[in-house]
Amino acid sequence: MSVSTGPSTRSRSWRWTAITGVSLLVLVTIHMVAHHFVVDEVGGLRTYQHVLDYIATPAIFVIEGIFLVVVTAHAMLGLRSVVLDFGLSEMWRRRLERALVVLGIVTVAYGFVLIGVLASRA
Amino acid sequence: MGRAPAPTPEREPGVEEILRARAPQGPVSKKLPGPVAWFDVRSRSTGHLAFSMNRITGLGLVFYLYLHLAVLSTLLGGEDAWNGFLELATTPLFLGLDVLLVFGLLAHGLNGTRLSLIGSGFVPNHQKALFWSFMAFGAILLVYTAVHVFGGEG
Amino acid sequence: MMADGTRTVRVHRFKRGDDEPRVEEHRVPVEGITTVLEALRWIQLREDPTLGLRHSCFHASCGTCGVRVNGREGLACVTKLADVPGTVTVDPIANLPVLHDLVVDMTPFVERFPPPHPIVRESEFLPESATPEGLDGNDRFEDCIECGLCLSACPVAATDDTYLGPAALAYAQRMLEESRGADRDALLDWADQDAGAWRCHAAFECTEACPSGVRPAQRIMMLRKELRRPRPGRAPEEPAADTSEHF
Repeated sequence: MSVSTGPSTRSRSWRWTAITGVSLLVLVTIHMVAHHFVVDEVGGLRTYQHVLDYIATPAIFVIEGIFLVVVTAHAMLGLRSVVLDFGLSEMWRRRLERALVVLGIVTVAYGFVLIGVLASRA
Repeated sequence: MGRAPAPTPEREPGVEEILRARAPQGPVSKKLPGPVAWFDVRSRSTGHLAFSMNRITGLGLVFYLYLHLAVLSTLLGGEDAWNGFLELATTPLFLGLDVLLVFGLLAHGLNGTRLSLIGSGFVPNHQKALFWSFMAFGAILLVYTAVHVFGGEG
Repeated sequence: MMADGTRTVRVHRFKRGDDEPRVEEHRVPVEGITTVLEALRWIQLREDPTLGLRHSCFHASCGTCGVRVNGREGLACVTKLADVPGTVTVDPIANLPVLHDLVVDMTPFVERFPPPHPIVRESEFLPESATPEGLDGNDRFEDCIECGLCLSACPVAATDDTYLGPAALAYAQRMLEESRGADRDALLDWADQDAGAWRCHAAFECTEACPSGVRPAQRIMMLRKELRRPRPGRAPEEPAADTSEHF
């Protein structure tokens, strides 16, 4: 039976690296402008209360949350690309890849806990 | 009633297996050993410089991601802890590191855009021109950022 | 030869049984058009007959004399010493085992190619015939002389000995471009493996090094475009041991 399959499965990593990367062009710009080009303080850095008020804003919370997920995904995909070039055996490659998945999940989880706690203190 | 499982048909070894199984007949000539060989850009051209720069900035930005999370964690210590960080972060050295961060973001982001384009089959014959024009654009943005970061009122 | 002067040529030396390679220096008489190959042959004939090197055609069509000159890949027969500044250092091409001095084992290079690997394909078209539909022109891949310079220049091949490499991947793209009955699915599956087309980091060193205008990097990008297209007709139970599933 003729079945149409999607694009090559191995192209998925490359595609998601490109997609997250292009998304980051927008997200990093928003993040950098908000933290260095809006506030008049030296370096554009916010005071303690400014940061809490900023992160407690619902739209900002969502944007920074998306930023966290996308940047972590892009970072883990990039590290995976470096690991692939080590010329490791299949077993060690898979172990390192699983470790990167765990690292990514822990990073995102910690980030959300952090901004959640800060938002609740505003 | 059990049946003996069908014997797994022997498959031909893949290229990777063939290359791994082959005992090298002699030393392999490389400038640097395996995992860091990509780092050696001596006698190399624009594309390799771009690749090495992308990897170095990428690894630097991964390091920065975790450094940033650690720094933001000082907020959990209250206003005094954060103010302590702000004092450090507004020194010229740290502002300079901020500009370095922006360099890393611009270099990695713009070159990454170039890689997305050429890797998708768009303009692969113009990869050098694309690299240098993106870097020129990035340099303009970097100068603007540096002026703003150092020129901000305190 | 009537010499315009002399140049210092440093040559990589290694024999089986040696612990480490070494470098030997020679003063070679040169003229304006002296090539690296001529300098090496002078050393072989006048100073050290044990110097091992490969060459054949003397005009860049056989691909046998590939070396690295001051770190850059090139065919020794057409690389003029006048174009190489300073002291000339000649090394074997990289990323392949060295057998003797400047001679490398090309077997791992050839083994990377997808089967079948016809060296010469019978031409179905006469030079005066029209360009076949779907092709921009008669851009013959047979330009590839399998010299190995692209593999030597590739930074991915430098880090991972199992990477298929530019020559083999560009060959697969050429087979897809003009299949002539070749199994396209098998070629795409072959290119899609872990050490295949997705490992390329677009350094374009292979295109820089290629003496024949094959442009392997561009062909790998086109191969990726092909791999991203949906493929009808594949059986759903085919295994996909894909590491990218983790993301």
